[in-house]
Parts: sequence; structure tokens; C-alpha cells
Amino acid sequence: MSTPTLMPDDRRSLTLRLSVMQYVVTAAFAALAISFWIFQIAQHEKFREMAEENHIRRLPLPAPRGVLLDRDGKVLVENRDSYSIALVREQTRNLDETLNVLAFATGTDEEQLRETVARRRREPSYRPIVLIENASFPQAVAVEARQWELPGIIVQHVPSRHYPASEMAAHLFGYVSEIAETQLQKAEYTGAEPGSIVGQAGVELAYNKLLMGEDGTKMVVVNSVGREIGKPLGEDPPKEGTRLQLTIDADVQQAAEDGFEASGFNGAAVVLDPRNGEVLAFTSRPAYDPNAFAGGIDRATWAKLNTDDLRPLQNRALQGRYSPGSTFKMAVGLAGLEEGIISPNFTVHCGGGANFYGRFFKCWQKGGHGTVDLRHAIEQSCDVYFYTVGNMLGVDKINKWATLFGLGVRSGIDLPNEVQGLVPSTAWKAANTKEKKWYAGETISVAIGQGQVSVTPISLAVYTATLANGGTRVTPHLVKAMDDGQELKPVPPPPPQSQVEVSPEKLQAIRDGMWLVVNGGSGTARRAAIPGKDVCGKTGTAQVISNQGRTAARTTKNLRDHGWFTFFAPRDNPEIAGVVFLEHGIHSANAASVAKHILEMYFAKKEGRPLPPPPTREDMRLDLRDPFARGAARPEGDQ
Amino acid sequence: MFERRLYFHIDWLLLAAVLLLAAFGLTMIYSTTYVTLPDGSGHPGPRFWVQLYAVGLGTIAMLVFLALDYRFLAEHSLALYIGLVVLLVYVLIGGKNAGGSTRWISLGVFNLQPSEFGRLALALTLAMYFGENRRGAKNNSDLVIASMFFVVPFLLIAKQPDLGTAVTLVPVAFGIAFLAGLRLRLVAAVAIAAVLLAPVAWKVALKDYQKSRIQTFVDPSKDPRNKGYQQIQARVTVGSGGLKGKGFRKGTQGQYKFLPVADNDFIFSVLAEEQGFIGVLVALGLYLFVILRSIEAARLAKDRIGAYLVGGIISGFAFQVIYNVTMSAGLAPVKGLTLPLMSYGGSSMIATLAAFGLILNVRMRRFTN
Repeated sequence: MSTPTLMPDDRRSLTLRLSVMQYVVTAAFAALAISFWIFQIAQHEKFREMAEENHIRRLPLPAPRGVLLDRDGKVLVENRDSYSIALVREQTRNLDETLNVLAFATGTDEEQLRETVARRRREPSYRPIVLIENASFPQAVAVEARQWELPGIIVQHVPSRHYPASEMAAHLFGYVSEIAETQLQKAEYTGAEPGSIVGQAGVELAYNKLLMGEDGTKMVVVNSVGREIGKPLGEDPPKEGTRLQLTIDADVQQAAEDGFEASGFNGAAVVLDPRNGEVLAFTSRPAYDPNAFAGGIDRATWAKLNTDDLRPLQNRALQGRYSPGSTFKMAVGLAGLEEGIISPNFTVHCGGGANFYGRFFKCWQKGGHGTVDLRHAIEQSCDVYFYTVGNMLGVDKINKWATLFGLGVRSGIDLPNEVQGLVPSTAWKAANTKEKKWYAGETISVAIGQGQVSVTPISLAVYTATLANGGTRVTPHLVKAMDDGQELKPVPPPPPQSQVEVSPEKLQAIRDGMWLVVNGGSGTARRAAIPGKDVCGKTGTAQVISNQGRTAARTTKNLRDHGWFTFFAPRDNPEIAGVVFLEHGIHSANAASVAKHILEMYFAKKEGRPLPPPPTREDMRLDLRDPFARGAARPEGDQ
Repeated sequence: MFERRLYFHIDWLLLAAVLLLAAFGLTMIYSTTYVTLPDGSGHPGPRFWVQLYAVGLGTIAMLVFLALDYRFLAEHSLALYIGLVVLLVYVLIGGKNAGGSTRWISLGVFNLQPSEFGRLALALTLAMYFGENRRGAKNNSDLVIASMFFVVPFLLIAKQPDLGTAVTLVPVAFGIAFLAGLRLRLVAAVAIAAVLLAPVAWKVALKDYQKSRIQTFVDPSKDPRNKGYQQIQARVTVGSGGLKGKGFRKGTQGQYKFLPVADNDFIFSVLAEEQGFIGVLVALGLYLFVILRSIEAARLAKDRIGAYLVGGIISGFAFQVIYNVTMSAGLAPVKGLTLPLMSYGGSSMIATLAAFGLILNVRMRRFTN
């Protein structure tokens, strides 16, 4: 083997070059040590924070909204555990692919997911964006199973609003949904964040702040795809929203709904306790299912609700304005009495109509009512009697008394977006019309609740309650008690809107007339009578269009008359008062049928008797003949 | 073959440092692969056991390469070299594909990665070639022949594709050429040529993913979610470790998989995170000791073959360590280059321990004839 050993000069050169190697390596290691010193010591704080932001997440713990109870403690609106599937953009690698896989795994519309993300793109990327609210259990499982394919997609356990009785009192409860961008700045939504679920209508909106509670947070450790690992580091538990006990009586409410259901008509009903203004029942129909909103309403349902000709989203009890028709006559009669123009014994002869200012005004009863006093004029709803009294009073005195009893003004109920009705006056006409001057002839129509007079069902309910309780214009309200953390604490009722100075004897004459309407021999609502309960009431029919117009109209639009029935009971010391409004209900007697079922329910429950079953269509004894249908001769006036 | 007196010339310190580094690596792999079960108990992942076996096999390989006289191995280096080239060709034809590249030969029980033995074979071959040559590497035709020895395995490995491993052949060849007396003027010429050829290489030779790696390195924030992500996360991992580290199995970056391939390419980052700057200094110190001690072995070598062999092996080793540690701190483009003795990888561990067997071999036989 001829392995050459190292010659001295060879060795010198080699040693030199090996030394060069040693210096180079040592220098490189020194540079590395310095680099690590810079990162680990000098900039440690910065990187420590970045590492923490990487793996520690503050997750919101949504607070359950306050539960709504009825006056007996029955649960009306509650919360259900549900899953929501959300996206944390910070943790996604490829957003397009993630959404594609998510849509496939959950069977949802990829376009809609994309839109949701686009809508909230300006929010910080660590904040979860809820993509699928109220996700089904299989959807949640599908996402969990594919967690490695879906970085940044998390399944949250959240309470969601549930309305067990679905459409019942939908307009009263309102609905909840994710806060809109435009609502974020509004004062009533302070404290809400993007993505918060807030009340959008009804009690949910009016008491949103109380009901919302306070969201908590949870600090969790997450891995690189945003999955929670192990136990939370810390938790700030959410504060549940305040439990509210409503004044609503679930049975009376159900009775109102059942009455409408049996009648087949739409409309509204408001039932109050005339002693304090508590709302016992409140309905507007057609209704919607608030559960559809709680889970993030789909576009088709939303579009349908908005384009439906019947306008199911409108709260007719609060926002519908209709002619009160003959239900207005008590205000005219009372004005006559209180202004000293008539006494209860004042009589008028009705021959089926009368002349005023050169024009003939018909009574609804073609043959006339003969000679009637105030009580019987109310009983039989004689138009000529009230034409005469109204003419003697003038429009301003009618306006004064109708307004005192709550017509043409807001009731002050604790629900949002109440609309104001109208009772005309000379001042109103001067200020609001081109014509400006009030013509005495116009007063004649106003005297029977036609012409420009328009009222909301809630205001008519307050008017009836004020007649019933002797002149206290109570404030309708919905909250009876509030949970203060331990127990339900009664909430004092709001003070009455006003106290009307009225002589009890004069008011009694009006109430006598209303008693006769239900219990008299020629009353117009005798079907509402309940033996021993002395139900009092008044019917009213509101024309949708003038008779001539109706005859001329070439439209399929529903132009049939609206039917009213206002009521209270018992006559002495009344404890329930209200109004039923049947949209295109043809005859006011049909409204009386609905009211009767409500009253029967109320008294049965109060006296501990078995509750009446929902009425059948036959029970309603509906009168569906439309005497004013096109082609039929239509008498002027109202019953 | 193994005379008793040689036993007294084994460099025990170097051997201890090498095995200590391997133990460090095992500890970090234990930490990064640890699986926690829902009931709170847990166990290390299968990769820990694979690595443990590899250390065992590697120790045997080291003893073999220690026992055989390095001159005997050098004389048969051409056979070893040809054997390697055959294996590399076989890999390209019948190798096992994983993650888009074909690097392994499946042996049933484990997969062999022949490219990891490339440095060893090349070092032996070149050491033999230059050591036998009395003139040293002073002549250009020698350089051309030496380059041929280098180019064949380089291209075969790069073709897999595994540019990272192929590149580690460069310092081996360069180290030996340098020690053999390669003129520094030539070194400068090669460097200038490399700079001039770089744009051409950029256009012609590099694949898109390789280009994007380099682009990302220049500006990691350009693409923070993908390629730049690893670089940023590497810095966060290292920086968040601080002086003392977060503790064994308590690193958040590695444990929660914010840092990819934590048990492999980025194992040093995890060490920095869990053991802190102190751990980094200890590990860097051990590596530096191993390298300097090996260079010392080259200096003490009895003949040129031994000196060149140790110089070539340790050049490749030092390059890999320095590059990987630089990358671990997010200071170099991310490349599939492992940290010898610590990263997960059976073939790499066996080849590295075998290589240190050779270094110990040269030092041990410095007095023999």
C-alpha cells in the first residue's frame, strides 16, 4: 500500500487551510448565537405576544335572551341549544376552497356563504363570522369530521330563540335576527357587536336591552386550524337576559287566535284589563313564524313575507288605520251629553234617512228606526240619530271628546312603531289640507265614524276601556313583572294617559246603550251575549270604498267591508275590554262571534270552569252574504 | 483488524458529544410527536421509536466504520461509489414516492434513502483520488475529473427531486478540493461564475416551487398564509422561547402545529422554543465542539487521505448544521434540509453516525502504519 504520509510543507498548507475552516465555522456559529440572542432575548416580548395571539382565542359566549312568560308563568318564548357554524378568517389558508368544502359538507348554498363573508369582510379577521345559524346536528357532525379540511371553520354551541307556539302573537313578541350594519350606530342597540342577535320587532325590540343580557367570553387554546384543545384557560360566563313576565294570558291569547282561525278572516284583536291597562291578548293576522328569523331567515321566505299582498309583517293592531264606523258613535253621544246639547232622553225620529245641508243621508235601516232615544240609538246603531247629534255638536266638539277617550292619539303602549289615527277638526283641516275650510256637511259623515276618521285597533281598545272604567285613559302595557336576579318582581303599571272629567250618570247612559247592543231585543250583536256576564259592546262596519266606487271598480282586489266589535264585561265593574277587527269581515256580527269566544275563555278560566274548546266554523255562525257585492243595491249608512 | 491499543486512541469526547446531540434530538422528537389521550395520559408517537431504532442501527454502523481501516475503505471507494450510483438510479426507476418526490427504496421494515449516504461515498472517493495524487489538486484536469465524481450523484439526487440533499454534496466536494490545495483564485472564479449564472439558473434550472421559496424568503409578509407562513412562524417559535424556554412539551408553536414539520426540518426551532436561549447555546456549543474537534482530527491525520476524508465529511456536516439552524430562525429560505443528528430521519441518522465512525477512525489510526 503506497499511502503517502504527509510531507512537512504539505502539512503546513493543510494546517493553514484547516485553520481557515475552523475560523469560518466559528464565525458562522457566533453569528447564529447572536441571531438567536436577538430573537429570543432582545425581541422576546414581541414574539411571545405573537405566539400567544396564535394559540389563545377569546371566544364570545352568547348570553341566552331573557325568557318571556305569560301572566300565569307559562313559557311563551324561550331559548333552545343550537349549533352555529362560523368562520375565523385568520385561520383559513384558502378561503375559496374552505367555503366550497363547507357548502358540500353541509348541503348549503356556496354563493350565500360567500355573500355573508363578503358582507362582513371589514371586521377583524379573528372575529368569528357565523355562516350557518341553527345548524342541524348532522351538519355540525359533518364539519367536525372534516376539521382538517376546514381550517378556520368552528362549530359553536349557542342558545337560539324559540317560539313554541310559532305564529301565536307573532307581532307582539316580534322576532330576533343578526344586527344589521345600519343598526350598529343606533342608540337602542348600544352594546351590540357585529353578529349580535338583537330584537327586530315587538317585545323583542322594545325590551331588547333587558332581554339581551351580557355575552361572556372564554379563553381557549386553539391549534393551527383553530380547533379548541383541552380545557378553557378561563371563562367569563355570560349573563342571561332578564326574564319578563308579560301581562298576556296565554289562554285568552289562544282564544283570540282560535277565533280568527275559525272565522277564516284576517285582522287584529286587542284585549285589555280596563282597570289598569294590562294587555291580556294582542294579535294581528295573518302572522308569520318568528322561528324562521331566529335561525337566519332564508331569502325566499323573507321575500315572500315582504311581497305578500296580505302583508303578514304589518302589525295591524298598532299600524293599521281603519274607519271606526259605528263604534265611533259612543264618542258622539258622550260629547252631546257632556256638552249639554242632549240628555239621554233626547229623541230623534228616524225614517230611514234625513236631509242635511241639501243632501240626503241614509240610515243603514232602510225602513228607519222610528223614534229612538240615546240608549236605543246605540242599541240599534241608528245613523239618523247620530247625524242629528253630530250636526248639533259640530266637528270640533266631537274631536275633543273622541280625543279625550283615546281616539286619534297614540295609546302609549310599550311596543315600537305605533301609528297615530285621525279624528278631524277644523284646525286639522286648516293645517293639513288644501281646502282648509271645514264644511258642516262633512261633520255628518264624521258623526258615524266615516269620512276622514281613522283609528288603530289598539286605540279603539283603549277608547272602549276608558268608557268601561269610567274615564281613566289607561296606558296599555305588556310587562307585569321582571326578574331581578332572584325572583319575579312586579313592575308598577305606567300611569294613565289622562283622567277624563265625565259625569258618571251620563257615561252610564252610553254603557246602557252598549249593554242593549248585546242584550237588548233589537241589539246588533246579540250573539256575543253570555248569560250572567252582562257583556256590553258595539258593532261597526267600515267601508273600504264608497258604494259608487265599489260598483264601478273593475278589480279583483278585496273591497268587502271591514267588521268591528268593541266590547267590555261585565257592565258593572268591568274587568275585560277590547276590540276585534275583521279585515274584509263583511259583517260586524262576525267580529262579535270572535269576541264571544275570547270572553267565554276569560270567564271560564277566571271561574275555574273547563276551558271552551276552539270554536268550529259552525260555532261562529258567520254571515258571509255580501249585500253590497257588485250589482247588489247598496244602502248608504252604517250599522 | 481492531488492535487492542487502538481502543486507547478513540476520541471519547467527540463520541460523547455526538451521542449527546442524538439524545437531544430524540428528546425533541419525543416532545413534538407526543400524543395526549382524552383521559390525560399519553405516549410518544411512532416516529420516536423509529428514531430510537435508527440511533441503535447507526451506532452499529459507526462501530463497523470505526473497525475497518479507513484506508481499506478508501481503496474500495470506487466500488462503494458505483454501488451508490446504482442505488440512486434504482430509486429513480423503482423507488417509493412520497410527497411528490421519489427518494426511498422500500425494504419492507423501513425505507432506505440512498441519497443520505451520498456524502459518505463521495468523501471517500474524492479523498482517495486527491490523496493518492502526489501533486494534490493543483491541476485543472484533476479538477475536471473530481467534478465528474461530484456531478453524477448530484444530478441523480436533484432529479428525485431533492435539491436540498443534492446541495449538501457541494460542501463535501468543495471542502476536499480546498484542503487538497485548490487555488483560491479558482475559488473566486467559481464564485463569480455562480453569480453570473444565477439569473440563467433562475430561469432554466429552478422549478416554480423553488423560485417561490426564494421569493418568499426575500419578503415573507408577501405571502404570510403559505410559504412566508413557515418563515414567520419559525421566528415566532424561536423568539417566543425566551431565555429559559417554555419547557419540555410545553411549546405552543410546535405542539399546536403552527410550525410545520416540527420533528424534522424545524426541530431546532422547537428546541429553541421549549429549551430557550440556554438550550440553543448548549446545542450550538455541542455542534461547534463536534466540528472543531473533527477538524482537529483532520489535522492530526497520518496521511492526506485521512485528512481529506475528515475534511470533506465535516464540511458537509457543518454546512448542513449552519444552514438548518439559520433556517430554523427564519433567516434562510425554507428548504428540505434536515439537521444532522437531531432531525427525524433513519437513513440520515445511520449515515451521519457512520460518518463519525470514519472520523473517529482517522484519529484513532493516526499512529498506525
